[in-house]
Amino acid sequence: MHRSLVISFGFHIVIVILTVLSLPFIAKKPIDLPPLISIELIQITDKTNIPFAPKAKKIIEKIKKEKDTLVSEQAPPKKVKKENPKAVPSPDQKMKKIDEAKSEAIPLPEKKAKKVKMTEEKKQNPTKEDTKVKQVSEFEKEEIIDPNKIAALIDKSKKEIAETTKTTNRVTQSQDKNMNISGLTLSEEDALKAQIFGCWSIPLGLPYNENLLVKIKLKLQPDGSVIKTEILDHARMNKPGQGFYKVLAESALRAIQLCQPLRVPTTGYERWKDLQLNFDAREMLEG
Amino acid sequence: MILSKFYRNTFLVLLLSLVLSACATQKAVKIDSKIQGDVYTGTDSVKYLADGVKDRIFFATNESVLTTASRDTLRKQAAWLRKNSDITVVLEGHCDERGTREYNLALGERRANAAKDYLMTYGVASDRISVISYGKERPVDSGSSPLAWSKNRRSVTVRAN
Amino acid sequence: MKKIKYLIFILFITIPTKSFSLIEVDITRGNLNPLPIAVSPLSYNQESRSALEKELKIEDLGSEISKVIENNLKKSGLFNPLNKDAFLQKPDIAHLKPRFEDWALIKAQALLTGKVDLQDEKLRVEFRLWDVLAGKEMLALAFTTVPKNWRRVGHIITDKVYERLTGEKGYFDTRIIYVAEEGPKTKRIKKLAIMDQDGFNTKYLTLGKELVLTPRFNPTNQIVTYLSYFRNLPRVYILDIETGIQEVVGDFPGMTFAPRFSPDGKKIIMSFAKDGNSDIYTMDLENRIVERITNHPSIDTSPSYSPDGKYITFNSDRSGYQQIYVMRSDGSKTKRISFGNGLYGTPVWSPRGDLIAFTRLHRGKFYIGVMRTDGKGERLLTENYYQEAPSWSPNGRVIIFYRETKSGDQGEGFSATLWSIDLTGYNERLVETETDASDPSWSSLLSN
Repeated sequence: MHRSLVISFGFHIVIVILTVLSLPFIAKKPIDLPPLISIELIQITDKTNIPFAPKAKKIIEKIKKEKDTLVSEQAPPKKVKKENPKAVPSPDQKMKKIDEAKSEAIPLPEKKAKKVKMTEEKKQNPTKEDTKVKQVSEFEKEEIIDPNKIAALIDKSKKEIAETTKTTNRVTQSQDKNMNISGLTLSEEDALKAQIFGCWSIPLGLPYNENLLVKIKLKLQPDGSVIKTEILDHARMNKPGQGFYKVLAESALRAIQLCQPLRVPTTGYERWKDLQLNFDAREMLEG
Repeated sequence: MILSKFYRNTFLVLLLSLVLSACATQKAVKIDSKIQGDVYTGTDSVKYLADGVKDRIFFATNESVLTTASRDTLRKQAAWLRKNSDITVVLEGHCDERGTREYNLALGERRANAAKDYLMTYGVASDRISVISYGKERPVDSGSSPLAWSKNRRSVTVRAN
Repeated sequence: MKKIKYLIFILFITIPTKSFSLIEVDITRGNLNPLPIAVSPLSYNQESRSALEKELKIEDLGSEISKVIENNLKKSGLFNPLNKDAFLQKPDIAHLKPRFEDWALIKAQALLTGKVDLQDEKLRVEFRLWDVLAGKEMLALAFTTVPKNWRRVGHIITDKVYERLTGEKGYFDTRIIYVAEEGPKTKRIKKLAIMDQDGFNTKYLTLGKELVLTPRFNPTNQIVTYLSYFRNLPRVYILDIETGIQEVVGDFPGMTFAPRFSPDGKKIIMSFAKDGNSDIYTMDLENRIVERITNHPSIDTSPSYSPDGKYITFNSDRSGYQQIYVMRSDGSKTKRISFGNGLYGTPVWSPRGDLIAFTRLHRGKFYIGVMRTDGKGERLLTENYYQEAPSWSPNGRVIIFYRETKSGDQGEGFSATLWSIDLTGYNERLVETETDASDPSWSSLLSN
């Protein structure tokens, strides 16, 4: 009687010990798990809902376009002349940035060079760049640039400045390159933009997948009031199927009327008395 | 050092085995005894065509598959119908509210037909059985809980004469 | 050395020029606020006024019409009609020559003025739309109709104003057909009801004796097709709105349901259920020829034609769960277009042809969404515990659907209501109905 009890007890102990020993947390050391990374599964659609994504797309497309348009720009000199006025603000701004960067304690040569390279390409593009792109955070811009270009730029950071001005001149014949004399400074442009942003009621009914760009030329008084407005591409107003263009143009004109007197710089009337505002509703409606 | 680990682990193993056995019974208590595998198994709302012959069978969400219990009920219904050969019936198919209206009309029809096919294999002539779907239009329980929904996913055999 | 030479070269070229170039500034942001518009009450002379008052029993018709317009504009979410108390100019003077400074003062950007006349028993309404900031007239039109149609005049004016200011066709001169519901959920009484899109002029088309579901207009808005349980036989019927005459569609030996008209109004497309299988069929209303479109052991239902009649989108569970498919109108080239998690149902093709609206059920929540006709670009517009059955406004911009709510788990406080939402996801609002309502369907523009 006793014996069987002892044997049974013994076997039970053996089983418990075996279980205990064979359990993984004894044999192995606890694994150091990396901290959990939470991943959000975003539905991938052709047009995302992230407001800045289309801008990024635009930047990428523009860079691609630049490569294509570089050759064509240099061919017809007439077109090139038109380039001049549009290109003016960019090099100045960039020059400013470059100067600022130079004066920084530790300027990152790659950054500077990149900026310059970007503007160089942009200048040769016939359509004006979206200034917003320039104001996009440095971080975003850098992401988009081809790393190969970056490597090439690192070596030639200082030389770039001179070279870019040279190349742009070849394309754009004559330029006034001194900044602060032609074009609006960043802060002046920002001030004007902020003002008009507040006045422009974008018609919500516009089709969000069409070209929603309307360019309006203004003649201004020194105090910022508008003498004359002119809608560029006026023919499009009455084109069939482009009825929304008229609505878009009218909303832009209303914005200008509402915002009078415009927030113009206090000096240099000569340089901004003729102003062109490019209203693009696409970003607001797509996002 | 190893020994203390040994003791700790032994203790944990014993504790774990106790906990597990306790949990097992806990779980059994938590499960709603009226739903099994998403199919209603209770008797609330069930009527009887005759003694011991339930008038309805239940389904899982989005399904029209007959469960063992459903087949048992239908066999009893078939037996009763074979005995009373002058009775005709209408099978009403229903769904719960968690679905779009038109699809539920089709699903109700599918459920009622599943019951009809089974009755036919047990000797009830097809001209004695007609089928109608009410989709989610005639719930038996207007609540919004899994229990309420399971009661609504049904095929009901109704005497037509 | 070379560098310096280049620099000098540059300076030579650049310094002499003094021409200042055209500065361009990009405006890429604005506000999405509704456009402030002043809707002046329509003016009219004394004799018309008394005549109209007698006939219509309305005191101030000019004011009533402008209220119809104001409400429409406000509900669209795109306009902000300004408070009348602030108006400085009187309606009759404003209509002749508005003092734009007065209107600009109250921040109006557009102004609507008009005149009402009773001429030979006919109501004549004239209106002008002004651009306050530019100081000129944008639109001027006049309508003549029988006096009792005065609400429709308000809707038509709204359509014209809407189109002029947004570039899109309007959707205000339209009607909505729906199922009016009453009673406890286990025994709902349902009737077919029709109303103007702003909730007025509700009329009931059936008595509620038999269950009726999913009514839809034909392209001319004269005939309605729906499912009725008349005599306990669920079948598709058509009903003439004018005469009230109902007629069963075809002679099917089983349940037919989920009916819609083809874009040319000649056929009815629907599901037919037999022996547990539902397939899609069409029937020509003239020659009564029935054509089978799908032939699959799965449930195929909720068919909807593309506006050009070439394609059909429908709901099928052939993949195991409810999903959305597109096929050619002859039933060939079937392609699945919904791929997200959960179930998809009630696909409806937009009248613009570019999108398909649907209901999606996922993790216990219902969503109304839209996707492109190839299935890409899915966007969910609204989420709720229970909602379904989207229907498009005729301009393809607004979607109407219905929601059910309960105040408790036991089903108490049950109610069904109609809601509308803009394609952009903005402006979700309740569509008021006399009773509880479900299964809404939007007509096309009446004035076509």
